[in-house]
Amino acid sequence: MNELLTIEGTLTPLSSKTHITYQFHIDEPPARLAIEFQYSPKVLEDSEISRPLIMEAIGKYVDPSAADLQKQQWERFTPLQNLLTLSVDDPEGFRGSAHRHPPEQRHTLAVGSASPGFIPGVLPAGIWRITISVHCVVTPACTYRLSVYKGRDAE
Amino acid sequence: MNWIPFELHTHTPHSDGRHSLLEMCREAKKLGLGGIALTDHNTVSGMTEAEAAQEETGVAIVPGMEWTTFYGHMLTLGAPYCEWRDLGPEDIHRGIERVHQAGGIVGIAHPYSLGSPICTGCHWEYTIKDWSDIDYIEVWHEVMPSYKNHNVPAWNLWTSLLNEGYRIPATAGRDWHHSGQDDSWSAFTYIGLPEPDDRYSAESVVQAIRRGRSVISMGPMLHVEALAGDARYFIGDIVEDSAGRLSSMRLLIQVQPFAAAERYGDRMQVTKLVVESNIGELADRPWNEQEAGIELYVPLEGIRWLRLKAMGVLLGGWTTIAFTNPIYVNREQKNETEGETE
Repeated sequence: MNELLTIEGTLTPLSSKTHITYQFHIDEPPARLAIEFQYSPKVLEDSEISRPLIMEAIGKYVDPSAADLQKQQWERFTPLQNLLTLSVDDPEGFRGSAHRHPPEQRHTLAVGSASPGFIPGVLPAGIWRITISVHCVVTPACTYRLSVYKGRDAE
Repeated sequence: MNWIPFELHTHTPHSDGRHSLLEMCREAKKLGLGGIALTDHNTVSGMTEAEAAQEETGVAIVPGMEWTTFYGHMLTLGAPYCEWRDLGPEDIHRGIERVHQAGGIVGIAHPYSLGSPICTGCHWEYTIKDWSDIDYIEVWHEVMPSYKNHNVPAWNLWTSLLNEGYRIPATAGRDWHHSGQDDSWSAFTYIGLPEPDDRYSAESVVQAIRRGRSVISMGPMLHVEALAGDARYFIGDIVEDSAGRLSSMRLLIQVQPFAAAERYGDRMQVTKLVVESNIGELADRPWNEQEAGIELYVPLEGIRWLRLKAMGVLLGGWTTIAFTNPIYVNREQKNETEGETE
């Protein structure tokens, strides 16, 4: 497997509701692409930080008649979690996404098969894009690492 | 008309579900469902397994997706993947247009769920500039929906929109992620189709949902037909009386026990039927299973929509067990007509 790309970054809660897209060129159609993605931490353990966030959300989203009761039970909503999801676009368009919670993921795309969430098919040469959708960062910092590899066969 | 029970909100491991499409369809068959919509979060790759699952179980599979965005979750049915990642909170109509162009329909999922950071994007926060762009609203979400707090404002939103003159259908959605030992009950969306095999045509199912040819129920099917003049109307239809010539219509109402009723036993029983409309309750009748049906005359004056609601006992509580989408009335109201003839 040849490494095409490795990136690391650090996010803060300000990055919630943003997308980070990495765009790269593939010169010859590979038989297979592999993507490794991880981020950390997953869970916000600090209840001093969680509590006001949960209270704010209940105040914003729950009918006033039920809000007080929900606020008394705020711990039901802990632990809050970071959620980053990955999607892939080939030069022709959308090739799938992995909207799920585990913070360590490995995906492959090939002609005849693909990891759950992704669409099998030829891997054309040209500009590819991998997008990290930052649904939510609740921890003061969240680091991520993304690596892309290409392979000549379905190894 | 064939009323086929569907589950319209489901997930598999292609997003974050824990049952494969085949496992889910086997379970759906056991529950008595005739079809499901596959609405994985932000992907459509699960449809590669649809042909085999449908062939083995006979459960129809409608392609869909749950747009799982930062500002709301939107269900799509009958469309391929449509792009959402470039849209902001003011841009949802551009997104809806993409789904419509691709031949699909859109529904707001669980509009009043808690939002971020408790459940990311789960509360609807997109600005809707034109409600007629919305094809349906998931008014009943999750299992035991009539007992869920967040479905109360969804019901009220739907009712106010109907009162404002929008013809937006309601649906139920279990948001089904796994087929475990959970014995909680989900609601079905019965979809009215001309032929039984139409359930295998995504286009027919989507068309029926779009026009509100559906009934939401924990089990029993509610049949409502309206006879006005010499025409017969079903749920989702518009009674045409634009000249205001008719004074009333006749409603034929029946409650059909769920085919797989044994799993409910006496823990679910309809005891009362209510006809609701934009001008309030039109009828409120006790109901028991021995009755053949109810016939009602309803004056058309002032009516723009009416729906049937079945109340009763559900697992020891008393609640709504089923409701129909509206039958609408298109009629010049009397004072307007007078204004024109003067």
